[in-house]
Amino acid sequence: MQITLSDLDINQEGQIVTVQAEGDVRRRLLDMGLVRGVKLKVLRKAPLGDPIAVFLKGFHLSLRIEEAKCIIVKKISNDDD
Amino acid sequence: MATKQIKVALLGNPNSGKTSLFNALAGTNQKVGNFSGVTIEKYEGVLKYESYEIKLIDLPGTYSLTAYSPEEVIARNYIIEDKPDVVIDVVDGSSLERNLYLTTQLMELETEMIVALNMFDEVEKAGTKIDIKQLQKLFGSHIITTSAVKKTGISSLLDHVVRVYEKKIDIKKNKLTLRLEIEDKLLDICELLKGVKGLKKYNHRWLAIKLMENDKEVYNLVKEYPVWIQLEEILKKSIIDCKNKYQSDPEVLITEDRHAFIHGAIKETVEFPSTKKKTLTEKIDSIIINRVLGFPIFMGIMWLVFQFTFKLGEAPMGWIDLFFEFLSGVATSVLPEGMVQSIIVDGIIAGVGGVLVFLPNILLLFIALAFLEGTGYMARAAFVIDKIMHKIGLHGKSFIPMITGFGCSIPAIMATRTLKNRGDRLTTIMIIPFMSCGAKLPVYVLLISAFFSTGAAGNVLFGIYVLGIIVALLSAKILKKTLFIGESEPFVMELPPYRMPTIKTTLIQAKIKAFMYLKKAGTIILAASILIWAASNFPQNKVLEARYEEQINQVNINRSLTQEKKDELLSNIEFENQYMQLEYSIAGRLGKSIEPFIKPLGFDWKIGVALGTGLAAKEVVVSTLGTIYSLGEVDEESVDLAEKLRADPDFTLATALSLMIFVLLYMPCIAAIGVFKKEAGAWKWIVIYAIYSTSAAWILSFTAYRVTLFITG
Ligand SMILES: Nc1nc2c(ncn2[C@@H]2O[C@H](COP(=O)(O)OP(=O)(O)OP(=O)(O)O)[C@@H](O)[C@H]2O)c(=O)[nH]1
Repeated sequence: MQITLSDLDINQEGQIVTVQAEGDVRRRLLDMGLVRGVKLKVLRKAPLGDPIAVFLKGFHLSLRIEEAKCIIVKKISNDDD
Repeated sequence: MATKQIKVALLGNPNSGKTSLFNALAGTNQKVGNFSGVTIEKYEGVLKYESYEIKLIDLPGTYSLTAYSPEEVIARNYIIEDKPDVVIDVVDGSSLERNLYLTTQLMELETEMIVALNMFDEVEKAGTKIDIKQLQKLFGSHIITTSAVKKTGISSLLDHVVRVYEKKIDIKKNKLTLRLEIEDKLLDICELLKGVKGLKKYNHRWLAIKLMENDKEVYNLVKEYPVWIQLEEILKKSIIDCKNKYQSDPEVLITEDRHAFIHGAIKETVEFPSTKKKTLTEKIDSIIINRVLGFPIFMGIMWLVFQFTFKLGEAPMGWIDLFFEFLSGVATSVLPEGMVQSIIVDGIIAGVGGVLVFLPNILLLFIALAFLEGTGYMARAAFVIDKIMHKIGLHGKSFIPMITGFGCSIPAIMATRTLKNRGDRLTTIMIIPFMSCGAKLPVYVLLISAFFSTGAAGNVLFGIYVLGIIVALLSAKILKKTLFIGESEPFVMELPPYRMPTIKTTLIQAKIKAFMYLKKAGTIILAASILIWAASNFPQNKVLEARYEEQINQVNINRSLTQEKKDELLSNIEFENQYMQLEYSIAGRLGKSIEPFIKPLGFDWKIGVALGTGLAAKEVVVSTLGTIYSLGEVDEESVDLAEKLRADPDFTLATALSLMIFVLLYMPCIAAIGVFKKEAGAWKWIVIYAIYSTSAAWILSFTAYRVTLFITG
């Protein structure tokens, strides 16, 4: 089964496999650097559980679970690179 | 030697320090306008450097130059159409990799550019080492390290602007090469574009890239020409080819290539500090937006902003009020009684006062907001509250304008500028007036004290506020499902590092907002106040006036009266005259003519007039009722007026409740409408809004009135 960014636990790292969003959302994700191969880490969830904050390329990005579900990732173990 | 003019545009990611750099360059020598057709501020500044006059323009902050948001389209059209001599690309050095993405797009446009590697103080402090020389070579552009806050690198930046302008540059432009399949297609497309006369002024490679990226603006541009048929073939084929080879489309692949180029460049030139300690931002975030404290802290900060804006604003508002009272006192005593005096005192001075009185609130709110924005908390606030706002179809960023509405709609409506999406923005603007503002409070207090027991008072007041919130939330849902269907900003938002904003930048921002309010909204508000004044004073009833003078005379010559008694009689006569005059005026007649419409709500023409004059400012409802019930100057605590209302057999508990609801929901005051017009852009929205809010007010008041009548018998 595919896992998405929304499935990652806090502090877990993942690597983007593909982004399955459309239109505006997709463009925005692409521009913010969410492209294939990029590594990211889930930092936290908002107090009400949604949105989430992730760390990638040296900055913090927040996005709704709805959007995180469009990002297919594979888990990477926390100790390599 | 004549001075040469250099046109320079500043471009950069949000929070890259663009505004600070602009201020460091231009000082206070700046002016604000709007980009044509949109409510996006356009900052311009001029400065002298050596024998050059440098004209600076601050483009809206964007992450990219696609055609998805108005900011991006504006920034990019400015660069393409207005052709600035030099573009300064402001890059946040502490987040280089993301910031350089915009730089790669400038490379594609082949504009003359200089990269200002800003926040360099932070870069150094973090211990990051950047091989600037190599980075310059890779991006084919001069890179100047700057700190807008510490004011370093500013003169070097200006020096390089001049050098680029004079073509005394020693860095060769570089081209970002995309993967082979894409480059092949780009060549084919360029070949076709070459033959098109109308497209000569554009950079063909850029057009080709944009076509492959499915850019709607460029599509529309190129579609006009006959080559389109051939182009479409190539584009279709490239989509199929990319799907087959990479299971992806050209748009994604091009973006990937840009990011890959940047990633490579960073690997080659940047050496990050080896120890991975937690940054300050992470530490602060782990407290400020954690799952337990996040929400209470958010509420606390909102409370502080609210207090800061409205409590601190009270005193200066009082001074402004006093000043205008004083002014009208002077004018009354200096000018002879009559038309001229009336228009100056009750029309102009009152009107200008009505505009200026909001200034403290606007200044304070925008100081608070600019501060929150500058520190980086604003994005966190949206992060914390977004789930709730999303439920009603809005964005987390809508929250701050909404709660500001409890104080005053004017700064609240102006604060919606942080919302980038048109649908989100207009929806938020339209629900703000339902958040019961401070000026409506006197009306509730008067009516509650007249018709409810002290025990019930608090609950009734609370109920009114809650009703406002419910109507606002429902309206947001309705608007998002009808007028603004599908128009929402995706919530993909940077949480910028925490920083301490400088006082200067914060103040400049607030000052600009205040000035905008005065200039644009002020004129509308002033004109409308004068109009309302005229409507309640014209036409003048000559017969009435003659009788009035006669009555005054009689009191004056009556020797059997004490001075005290005389004064009392005189003021009674005056109020009675005011009442008759009001009834005779256009306002009074309008009140009477709308009576059939408001009768079902339990209102007679007198309330109709009060609602009309209440458009000048909601608290005026109280003073107009005072005039009508012949009491002269009154305020909401006036026991007399409450008694008179109770004594009026037509004015019942049901009327009071119905009136409170109507005042809560019907059209906002003229000042708010003026700002509404300015922010929404078209009168159309005001008309829609006026109809919507007044219908909502009517229906709910009617319901409340009938139900209360039914219960109370
Ligand atoms: N340490 C440091 N802080 C800076 C520098 N330049 C700007 N800042 C701070 O960074 C924050 C954001 O700066 P702004 O100038 O508002 O950034 P901007 O790019 O105009 O942001 P938007 O208005 O959102 O587009 C503020 O708190 C500034 O004080 C710098 O060179 N060094």
